[in-house]
Amino acid sequence: MFIGAIGCEPLQLKRVGLENSRTLDVYRQHGGYEALKKVLDGMSPEDVIGEVKKSALRGRGGAGFPTGMKWSFVPKDSPKPKYVVCNADESEPGTFKDRFLMERDPHMLIEGMLIAAYALGSRTTYIYTRGEYRYLINILDAAIQEAREAGLVGDRIMGTEFSCEVFTHTGAGAYICGEETALLNSLEGLRGHPRMKPPFPAIAGLYGCPTVVNNVETLTAVPDIIKMGGEAYQKLGTQKSGGTKVWSVSGHVNRPGVYELPMGYEDMEKFIMEDCGGMLGGKQLKAVIPGGSSVYIMPATDIVGKKVKMDYEGLVVAGSMVGSGGFIVMDETVDVFESTKNLTEFYKHESCGWCTPCREGTDWLVKVFKRIAKGEGRPEDAQLLLDLCDNIEGKSFCPLGDAAAWPIQSAIKKFPEDFRRHLMPMATRTAEAVAAD
Amino acid sequence: MSQQFTPNNPLPQEAKVPVEMAVFSLDVEAEIDRHLAKYPVKRSAILPLMFIVQRERGGYLDPPGVAYLADRLDVRITDIWEVATFYSMINTEPVGTYHIQVCRTLSCKILGAGKITEQCSTRLGIKPGETTPDGKFSLSEVECLGSCGTAPMLQIGFDFHENLTAEKLDKILDTCERGEYVFTVKG
Amino acid sequence: MTTAESVKVTINGQEFQVQKGAPLIDVCRENGFAIPSFCYYADLALQASCRMCLVRIEKMPKLQTSCTITCTDGMIVTTQSEEIEKAQRGMVEFLLANHPLDCPVCDRGGECELQEMVFDWGGLEERFTERKNYYPEKFLSPIVANDPQRCILCKRCTRVCDEWMGEDAIEAGGRGANTVIGTFGGWLNCSQCGNCIEVCPTGTLLDATYRHQTRPWELERTVSTCTFCSDGCQMSLGSRAGELMRVVARDRYVDGINGEFLCIKGRFAHPFVNHEERLRTPLIRYRKGGKLIPATWDEAIRFTAAKLQEIKDAHGANSIGVVGSPRLTNEANYVLLKFAREVIGTEHYTASEAFSLAPFFKHMTAPLATHKDIRHAKTIVLIGGEPEELQPLTAKQVRQAVRNGGAKLVIINSVPVRLKQQATQFLHVRPGTEDALVLALAGQTDDAMAARKMGVEVGEIEPLRRMIDETQGNVVLMFGGELSTEAQTILAQLPGSIGDEENRRFLFHPLPLFNNSFGVHDVGLMDGKLNATGLLDAAGDTVRALYVAGGLLPAHLQGREQALQNLDFLVVQELFATDTTAHADVVFPAASFAEIDGTYTNNDGLVQRVRQSIPPVHQAKPDWVITSLLADALGIDFNYQMSASAVFREIGEHVPAYQGLRYPLLKDESKPVQAKYQLAGQRAEVADVLAELRQRVERMTGAGDKIMETPEVGHELFKIGTLTGKVPQFHLLAAGNPEPPDVLVSPLYQITIDSGLRRDTAIAGD
Ligand SMILES: Cc1cc2nc3c(=O)[nH]c(=O)nc-3n(C[C@H](O)[C@H](O)[C@H](O)COP(=O)(O)O)c2cc1C
Ligand code: SF4
Ligand code: FES
Repeated sequence: MFIGAIGCEPLQLKRVGLENSRTLDVYRQHGGYEALKKVLDGMSPEDVIGEVKKSALRGRGGAGFPTGMKWSFVPKDSPKPKYVVCNADESEPGTFKDRFLMERDPHMLIEGMLIAAYALGSRTTYIYTRGEYRYLINILDAAIQEAREAGLVGDRIMGTEFSCEVFTHTGAGAYICGEETALLNSLEGLRGHPRMKPPFPAIAGLYGCPTVVNNVETLTAVPDIIKMGGEAYQKLGTQKSGGTKVWSVSGHVNRPGVYELPMGYEDMEKFIMEDCGGMLGGKQLKAVIPGGSSVYIMPATDIVGKKVKMDYEGLVVAGSMVGSGGFIVMDETVDVFESTKNLTEFYKHESCGWCTPCREGTDWLVKVFKRIAKGEGRPEDAQLLLDLCDNIEGKSFCPLGDAAAWPIQSAIKKFPEDFRRHLMPMATRTAEAVAAD
Repeated sequence: MSQQFTPNNPLPQEAKVPVEMAVFSLDVEAEIDRHLAKYPVKRSAILPLMFIVQRERGGYLDPPGVAYLADRLDVRITDIWEVATFYSMINTEPVGTYHIQVCRTLSCKILGAGKITEQCSTRLGIKPGETTPDGKFSLSEVECLGSCGTAPMLQIGFDFHENLTAEKLDKILDTCERGEYVFTVKG
Repeated sequence: MTTAESVKVTINGQEFQVQKGAPLIDVCRENGFAIPSFCYYADLALQASCRMCLVRIEKMPKLQTSCTITCTDGMIVTTQSEEIEKAQRGMVEFLLANHPLDCPVCDRGGECELQEMVFDWGGLEERFTERKNYYPEKFLSPIVANDPQRCILCKRCTRVCDEWMGEDAIEAGGRGANTVIGTFGGWLNCSQCGNCIEVCPTGTLLDATYRHQTRPWELERTVSTCTFCSDGCQMSLGSRAGELMRVVARDRYVDGINGEFLCIKGRFAHPFVNHEERLRTPLIRYRKGGKLIPATWDEAIRFTAAKLQEIKDAHGANSIGVVGSPRLTNEANYVLLKFAREVIGTEHYTASEAFSLAPFFKHMTAPLATHKDIRHAKTIVLIGGEPEELQPLTAKQVRQAVRNGGAKLVIINSVPVRLKQQATQFLHVRPGTEDALVLALAGQTDDAMAARKMGVEVGEIEPLRRMIDETQGNVVLMFGGELSTEAQTILAQLPGSIGDEENRRFLFHPLPLFNNSFGVHDVGLMDGKLNATGLLDAAGDTVRALYVAGGLLPAHLQGREQALQNLDFLVVQELFATDTTAHADVVFPAASFAEIDGTYTNNDGLVQRVRQSIPPVHQAKPDWVITSLLADALGIDFNYQMSASAVFREIGEHVPAYQGLRYPLLKDESKPVQAKYQLAGQRAEVADVLAELRQRVERMTGAGDKIMETPEVGHELFKIGTLTGKVPQFHLLAAGNPEPPDVLVSPLYQITIDSGLRRDTAIAGD
């Protein structure tokens, strides 16, 4: 598996290749905790937020919300404690960047959290990691302990007035707990249902107190932003999406892995064919899901020769989204009906069950998919699937419902053949089609 | 014969308390205290504590374990139930010593997760969702575990086994069967 | 009170002025735009999960759930369009996807909200051809049956259990399409109030005691008032062919003070009505020591009248005592009073009521709180009492005032009652020292002594006074039967001496035990010369005969059975054979609350209708009719023409607080009528009472241990002076609510009524 930067100096992945990269010593030898020092040496919380605003950093958890703006929503004068929570629940299929950021460079995250805590006036922070990543929690705990012993976590950090705790917290197997309000419920020891918004977490989050929830990659970008300055960071990327982005590449490529690319990397085709080592076994590219399972699927025809720009705006133009940057490449052997069925089963399994459309809708969708897969498809089923998706999309309590609908809608639209083959009455199916099932 | 309940023949008082409470060693108690100390509200520690109780009570939340949790966290037993049944990693039924969890989601699927599951199934003689009669193995299909770049993969306990091939899988199952498998990640 | 700002909202092109921040769903409905919903339930925490209430709001990208939207100025709303209709039909289709279409065998069929919704918003075509998910039907408790498959997960039940009852006994478990409502171990260990059954819109949670007995549409429904406690909940009695089948609050037209709330007594303790042990005919004991022998009404009335006349002639009118009951209607008690005064001419009349509110009524300087006032109060002071067990609706309102309304609650009690979970301050006092708190409230000078007697810190009293002082809104003063006459008087005068302020108002909420404890005071039955204890003391001496309606309380009777033996003549009107009828010379079978018309006055002072649901069982007659027949036999025709309404008209003429009331004015339970109680002014003699109270407190020994254990609500029910002994499921509760070995079988089969049950537990408790 490849891990490194293409087309830019590595920022997030600067230290991943080093021996003992997760130790405090190595981190410090390579610029670690300099940003925190700079902050504590004379930046006001407003200065920090200002730099993050200038950096045009957008949240890397999936929604792409401008981080500086999110931070500025936290009321400064609230008498309640404030919390910073790192969203390390990374459960979006196809996404594994946070895992390697934490595995290889845990101190970068801790430093990012401390800076965020300083900017937001928080004294307690939590890293919510999915339960399956238990080994990462052990790594993080060790790193936090190391930092605490070095006076970087806990009381009077670096001898200043600033005190802050960093705690790890474990999830226990629920994708929905990646949604920030569900995460907060889970952190409070409740079922991981999303909460009503408003109020947004920035106003009333953890224990009803002002809270900022940020993705791992968002927080690990912060030390570099402080060190190089917001403007310089922004210039690495585009006007609206600053800096670099870490992509997780999986599927039928020769070199899957974790790739750091500048925002606005110019050509998706080049990325697949050259940077990722081309298609596995020299097969034909059929489709790409560029941003984790929840985004629209892109057919090869929308990529090859289209110079698709890899950033928030570019992917929207190309008919998809950056999402969490989980880049899944599929070759000609993949039946998009099957792949869509696979993802729909995922959403059914992960629906929290709170709201009607998502709970019942995903259940029903899976039943229809299974019936079709058994060979009992009917020509009108494509319409049925689309209609069910329409009844879910935009009506569910949280975006998981939308996320379940989008892959199906785009798959039927972009790969009608793959569906039609399954929906023909048995008798009229070609021998080839049957064989392909 | 079913018991008759009348005011003059009340059940013994103990009938109200479902089971006795689990007791843990001082080390475990200390570990639990460390978790409780992280949060301003006790209930927040419910998931970390569930993992500990599950580890200590043979892999699942047995009734004494549940009673312990409710008491330690000051919540009703029903609160434990509602949380435990929500999260897929919390077991309310016994599971095998080696819980083989094969990722079934897209990236793994297109790189052969189906074959991996099949191989486990054939070798262990159980379908996903089942446990072998000797209680040694449980087999599950789970959703994406963040190893898409190193697919296909499976997890035993908290250990990741990635870039699986048929041979590699056989070797892993061999060590398990011989009881020589060593869990590398501590829960 | 500050009036909320009003804003302009446009709904479907029409403009409305509405209160800023009002829930959009309510505003739309109030103005005649139908909006479907399942999970929205007024006064429960918002859920927004059913997604039925979708509307389009201009400038918002998606359809919005109107239950979560609060009105802001200039909001432009569309509630009907093709897009909205499609979405709503889609939701109904989703809800039906896994819902078994077994309506014909579902107890909720005919009154199911899902059925109604499908009728109005459902599609005609069923597109779902796959197998439905299946869960087996089971019992969650002896009185709650559960068919998980029918659940639409609106979670009203879990919210009601938590927010109303504070029990949190039922919860959602599982995830996604496997989410089910249930409990740990599948057994509901709670007070079995059954409110989860009530609020369930479908046939998921069902009344296990009523299962498969009738179809809802076969029932005759009668709106009436509960006969069990002083809260006076409104309920709907469902009867078929002269049998009372069930009691619910859910019929849409029941819109009383309690909404859909009822407690275990109101909802489940009705089997006594058609119980096989009900008295069937009048009974006469012709000879002392002989047996009670069935007789005809004519004979029994003639026999009684003759006896009473004989005793009056021989010993004078005052030798006959008349005892009413706080469980009977105003009509019954009024006619008894009239009988005592006009027919017998005796000064000896009273009611078998243990807790006299007379001093309170005489001195009250602030109005009574309604239950709605309690729900919206800002400070609640609860002195003594155990509303959770004895006045459950009050407890619910208090809990909601704190949890959903942010009120402050102070509890002064010798028992750590469960409501204390909601309390801002809990003064755990020694048993019997509640009076001391009242003394302290009356002035700081006694703080130290009062605190010492109560066994609390002196510093704990001042915060309470400050809390009352600083309240913006209503302060409700509640008190139970622990307060002495003096303490009641001082407390009643307290608001007058502190005085209302612009934003603070005092309200009272006494907590008497019985459904008509207020009424017996109002009609004047408590103004007689002797109380029940006094009458029994004089029995066989100056008092030669007693005429008792409704049975004596165990509190009065205990150890005085001999007194009844000493009487020359005892007449009793009752439902069942009791410890009182055991000594009677004549027993009349009386009609229960389900068989009569009348009124009860609850602890809000609301005069509420009791309506006849079934004809009197066997030969029973309403209490007031029996009294009228006796009067007639003694030569005085009350001339009521067998109409309770005529009796009440007379009450409206003679009882000051009920001036001008008539049945037609009481017909709408959503607009209850409060009796007009006179407020007293500041009274000079109060200084003396205060001195007496101080002495009383000084005499307290300061000994006596506080009770440390929180009582489990409901498990003591069958003991507390209600008729619940005739209801099998209470025996289970009394046994600590244990889980039977096999919950898949109806647990009711496993309960047998112990035939050796003492009679007084059955009728009056002990
Ligand atoms: C169903 C769902 C799942 C999500 N899962 C994750 C996740 O695993 N990790 C993550 O960082 N954000 C996830 N998010 C996004 C979070 O809600 C939230 O936007 C993010 O944590 C904010 O951090 P950011 O601003 O740094 O992106 C998810 C959102 C939804 C709706
Ligand atoms: S869309 Fe609804 S059911 Fe699905 S995850 Fe979100 S809240 Fe839960
Ligand atoms: S009533 Fe609004 S979502 Fe259920």
